[in-house]
Amino acid sequence: MKRKHFISSALLAFASVKDLAESISERSEGTATAIPPYLLPGDMIGITAAAGYISAEDCTDAVKTMQGWGFKIKMGATVGKKDFSFAGTDEERLADFLQMLDDDKIKAIMCARGGYGLVRIIDRINFKKFIQKPKWIIGFSDATVLHSHINKNYGIATLHSKMCNSFVDPALAEPIQNETIDSIRKCLVGGKMKYSAAPNINNRNGSSKGILVGGNLKMLETLAGTASDISTRNKILFIEDTGEYLYSIDRMLWNLKRTGKLEGLAGLIIGGFKIKPDDAGEEFGKTLEQIVLEKVAAYHYPVCFDFPVGHQKNNFALKCGVMHELHITDTSAELKDIS
Amino acid sequence: MKITIPPYLQPGDTIAITCPAGYMPYENVDQCIQILQEQGYRVIVGKTVGSDSQNYFSASDDDRLDELQAFLDAKEVKAILCGRGGYGTGRIIDRINFKQFAKHSKWIIGFSDITVLHAHLYSNFGIASLHAPMAAAFKDGNNEYTTSLLTALRGENVSYYAPAVDANLPGHAKGKLVGGNLSLLAHLCGTVSAFKTKNCILFLEDIGEQLYHIDRMLYQLKRNGMLKNLAGLLVGGFSELKDTERPFGKTIYEIITDITQEYDYPVCFQFPVSHEKENLALKIGVKYKLVVDESGALLSEC
Repeated sequence: MKRKHFISSALLAFASVKDLAESISERSEGTATAIPPYLLPGDMIGITAAAGYISAEDCTDAVKTMQGWGFKIKMGATVGKKDFSFAGTDEERLADFLQMLDDDKIKAIMCARGGYGLVRIIDRINFKKFIQKPKWIIGFSDATVLHSHINKNYGIATLHSKMCNSFVDPALAEPIQNETIDSIRKCLVGGKMKYSAAPNINNRNGSSKGILVGGNLKMLETLAGTASDISTRNKILFIEDTGEYLYSIDRMLWNLKRTGKLEGLAGLIIGGFKIKPDDAGEEFGKTLEQIVLEKVAAYHYPVCFDFPVGHQKNNFALKCGVMHELHITDTSAELKDIS
Repeated sequence: MKITIPPYLQPGDTIAITCPAGYMPYENVDQCIQILQEQGYRVIVGKTVGSDSQNYFSASDDDRLDELQAFLDAKEVKAILCGRGGYGTGRIIDRINFKQFAKHSKWIIGFSDITVLHAHLYSNFGIASLHAPMAAAFKDGNNEYTTSLLTALRGENVSYYAPAVDANLPGHAKGKLVGGNLSLLAHLCGTVSAFKTKNCILFLEDIGEQLYHIDRMLYQLKRNGMLKNLAGLLVGGFSELKDTERPFGKTIYEIITDITQEYDYPVCFQFPVSHEKENLALKIGVKYKLVVDESGALLSEC
């Protein structure tokens, strides 16, 4: 499967050669993704707070749960550290992240939480050692910066999932919480995940294969034009967001469209969107589904709404940079890791 | 890049008013029409102004586009004044045909959401436009700022003064003026409408944003290379600032100073360009001279 895909993509790149550099970069970022080694019992996961402040206490359930999975945990110096809204100064967050990136004993790095802060340090992170010895980088929301930057520049797979602040005591958790948290474990040990979304009348049916990329819509817009801006060509793109007005979601989708990210997709997955209600007298007059569908009306790839990813309890772990298959019919919507 | 400066207005010229984005009631343009007529201009008001729209927009995309297109193409229209901003210009920008306009340029006037038009015209056609109060700003009669628009339209060279601010970074600069609403400048990054800011004097303003959003947007500009190699930076009003429950811990001055500290161009804070009354007409694409010293900042057209 992998080989077949490589050949077809290589042909595609060859056929559309405008300049050599472009085709090489398209190939390296578009198809041949390196997958970090999956974790074995006894492996160590580092926890770092690369963006917003979080207390050590708020990481307790995550530590206990992941220890229960058979992993060792190393807490970064930024956990519990505070510089106003940040988990330490830029220098402190950068140093903690770099230390974990370069420490051979650490096989995966989980961001303790999102918030805001990664764009302030991303250009100062040296990924040299990480490229030679990739490891899993885990998180979502603000951590979309890492997913995009790593996909764009190094073609290494990362894990889009809940972070420490979403872990709960398994005994007190709702089934969906345990299930989504356990999806992190399954992904990290090499499980080939298959997820379903409830059918939505607005879905666009179809089947496609492509490398999965995406994350938080606001962050994808924030990265536009920068060195971390992903190419989405022939890929399956997923997006989610929270607390945004409909007009703002519309505007961000225009940014995706006008930066060429909605054209040439293999598929589009719309996760959870917690929408901020319109102010009185400022009714936007379109639903989320309408906003999305009007942007992609000219394209023919499958589109899935209500996918279980986002700032919500049903937020399953997704391997960014890994080949997936999206299959949507009138009665089902399914995303499958086919790496 | 050579910049085309549209012809300045003569008495008897026609100004068209349109709402390419958000809805605005007709009464908000009454005063504006009267003042423009007193200045000797003819005024045409488009159907998007005070329309019967039932939602956020002044009219459907098609209707807003058609009206703007008609005014762009109409030879007798010498300037297009936007009624208000809001949101919506970005939804139609790629469908506007600027062919006729590029041959017979005219002044496009507005700010906020209209930043999309300014940036698009500058980057793609090298045509100057006016970042200035819109029709609704005339509602309470003429003031220093609405007057600055009328002065600009007549083609009179002006100098603007801003009082000294401790955080200012002194220096001299000369360059084309570009800029607008920070949220929209960030939003346009990566698109064909984005400003190229090299050797330019950049101005920024915004309203109602979280401090951390402003920081993030400035990082986007920085990572797009838009803050490097500027001739100078004018920081306008950042009104109705919001903060998170856990404070961001930096003022707007500190946010901007931190992000530009590695550069040595002059920086002027509290320049009168904003979503408030203080909003001087600025000609985008036109060359200005900026002097920032202990007595304040002076921006004058070259």
